[in-house]
Amino acid sequence: MNAVATRLRFPGFAVFAALFALLLSPLLAPSLKRAAGFLLARGQAPAPPSIKVVDLVPASLSGESNQDSEPFLAIQKDNPQVMVASAFTPNPFSLTGNAPVYVSQDGGASWALNAITPVERMTCDITHAMATGESHPRGDLHAGMLDCSSGVTLDESESNDVASTATMNVQSTRGNVDQPFVRALGVSSGDRIYVGVNDFNQTSGRTATIDVSVDGGATYKSIPIERRKTAGQDGPSVRPAVGNDGTVYAAFFGWRKFDGQTATSDVVVVRDDAAATGANPFQALTDPSDKQPGRVVVKNASIPWSNAPTLGQERIGSTLSIAVDPNNSSIVYVAWADKGSRGDIYTLHVRNSTDRGVTWSKVDLPGTTIHNATNVALAIASNGVVGFLYQQLNGGRWVTHLVQSHDAFTSAQDRVLATVPADQPAEQFLPYLGDYDYLLSLGNEFRGVFCANNKPDFADFPQGVTFQRAADFRAKTLNDGAGNPVPISIDPFYFSVPVIP
Amino acid sequence: MKISSVLIQSSLGGAGLLLALCGCANAARSQATDNQAALMGKASIVFSGTVSQLAATSFADVPKSAQTIVVRVDAILKKPPAVSLKKGDSVTVEAKDASAFQEGAQATFYTEGWIFGSGVAVKELGHVLGEAAPAAVAGVSAPGQGQDHLTDQELKDRMNASDFIVVGRVTDVRKWKAPKTKSGSPLRVTEHDPDWHEAVVEIQSVLKGGQVKGNKVVVRFPNHDDVAWARSPKFTKNERGIFCLSHDTATGAPMTKLGSKDVNVYTCLGHGDALPLSEEAHVRALLKNH
Repeated sequence: MNAVATRLRFPGFAVFAALFALLLSPLLAPSLKRAAGFLLARGQAPAPPSIKVVDLVPASLSGESNQDSEPFLAIQKDNPQVMVASAFTPNPFSLTGNAPVYVSQDGGASWALNAITPVERMTCDITHAMATGESHPRGDLHAGMLDCSSGVTLDESESNDVASTATMNVQSTRGNVDQPFVRALGVSSGDRIYVGVNDFNQTSGRTATIDVSVDGGATYKSIPIERRKTAGQDGPSVRPAVGNDGTVYAAFFGWRKFDGQTATSDVVVVRDDAAATGANPFQALTDPSDKQPGRVVVKNASIPWSNAPTLGQERIGSTLSIAVDPNNSSIVYVAWADKGSRGDIYTLHVRNSTDRGVTWSKVDLPGTTIHNATNVALAIASNGVVGFLYQQLNGGRWVTHLVQSHDAFTSAQDRVLATVPADQPAEQFLPYLGDYDYLLSLGNEFRGVFCANNKPDFADFPQGVTFQRAADFRAKTLNDGAGNPVPISIDPFYFSVPVIP
Repeated sequence: MKISSVLIQSSLGGAGLLLALCGCANAARSQATDNQAALMGKASIVFSGTVSQLAATSFADVPKSAQTIVVRVDAILKKPPAVSLKKGDSVTVEAKDASAFQEGAQATFYTEGWIFGSGVAVKELGHVLGEAAPAAVAGVSAPGQGQDHLTDQELKDRMNASDFIVVGRVTDVRKWKAPKTKSGSPLRVTEHDPDWHEAVVEIQSVLKGGQVKGNKVVVRFPNHDDVAWARSPKFTKNERGIFCLSHDTATGAPMTKLGSKDVNVYTCLGHGDALPLSEEAHVRALLKNH
């Protein structure tokens, strides 16, 4: 199957050298071989990991043209060859079969679609994390997903082996919730799972909630984290972040007013120092203004709410991310989007705290005020480098950036992973790219996922790209593996980028 | 009865003669044909092929077991357009009973999808030993066409789950807002807001369910193109079609006004719950054979 096309990147002189060597090869082969062996044996350092971008759609689904938007990623940290990704990808063979996830067992080089979720056909919101507490080399995948086959129902479920065919075990379920967002930490006593949800079952409109399990999902406890009066509810995004020492942060939008088009919102951060196992979880941080739990990072931000194509073909209203330094839980970053300045639809901001969320930078960190952008995701590597993933609408294109900084963005490295036409393909449903994308750190890598137009054009992927699905990069067209044309659509892309020193 | 055993027996001279003498041969063949047709309706991927390996898999992502066999595809009889599968490809089949196969055996495999990676892995629903009968060959959709096509079984399931199936015309479409409760309706703003609308459907005939008073029904439907509702039928004025209706359990307000009368509200939420008029004969046939 002619499904794989990779970008080969050589400097020009290397091409000339290769041609010259080819001409002389019969004469020079033995000596070249000796020289090469010497060079490799004597002085060549191992090649640094290179940037990898991979279209997740497998070769055997080359005929698909779905809008596979809203990606997510989980890494099995004890066995990082194993990863699970998800998107709004339907079951490819049945309208009533299980919704699938993408599974890689070779560090992201290849991906297969495995229909193991308990939801029919396609999830409508899914996030997940893999924890290592129970020593399952291809588990434990903990997922929070919305089943929209009849109404909207949250399923919190688990798989011990993502490569098996067993349907994930539903451990907890309820209705009236929105946008589950899962983080997990493996500890010897069992996996700790934190699911941020906007829970309409909470009383008094204080809907920002963390579902906490400290027994691998066997039991969950819903913990409201909003303490202030709301406009009737909080914003959809409730984002936990878990430090290796058991410190758990969560960020949410505390909606104070809402007029149908704009939410006047606080960006609030809560913290728990004991893995949310104590009697009064998530109350470690209070705001000096009212002594209530929950530090207000920004007060009365004006956040546009548009549940229709607004930023390009994407909707806007609730993009939020938080990350904690895995080795120093005093350092925490938060990012969000609000209305921004005149002529700007949606502006990203990044702030940080170095004292466990007690005080925050008063203004955006240098270079982190990003106009007309969404889908922010933060992660912090083990060396303290912060990764800042976002997608910006710029010149009629969706441009996916990964910015890294080791000094709170005083200096930074910006890598464009994709720059694709924003008006193609036409939206099939909302969200167009996703209400979020995702970034994780693993050793000396940032790994993540984003969604983009899947036209096979190297110019759209400046760091190179690998397609598993059948693609003709010369003609810039997709086909079904048998030569029949397939229309351009939105695909999820996995990436790995080396962490800067 | 397993289709494979029926055909094997009927192809053997002695057994076939015995069946004929019993006057059962025609009945057996008829049953086999019926079973094949049923399997064809149920299966999502059907192909004929030659078994090339036992207890093996065709690509790395598939867990190997005694039940997995590798089959080289000779002809595709049915597959979803998204699936890339062609003559000469090797497919992993998780057999129901792998001892039924030997290397080199030819069969038609009725399957459902399993794992999709660098290759295709499927689960067997049934098989027929021997070369594929030409009569069994069905059309294979082109890529990008019919991605959401319901199988007969899926359509039957939808119809079984419905309270009414009607042929009708949409005479009016209007936005519907949930009435406020006495305590004041709580704010519930989500990206999955359905944006409920109501369609008034004038009934021309009822294919399932009893008569409807007044010959009109109100159908509540989500008009938003959020992912949660993207596949739910959206109604437009003067639209004609076949509608599979269920009592409204989704909106929390199962009654509404139609003129001055309080009437039941129905929903039509699933993909395939609204069908074009051209499907009427097909729907009637499925209902008749149910």
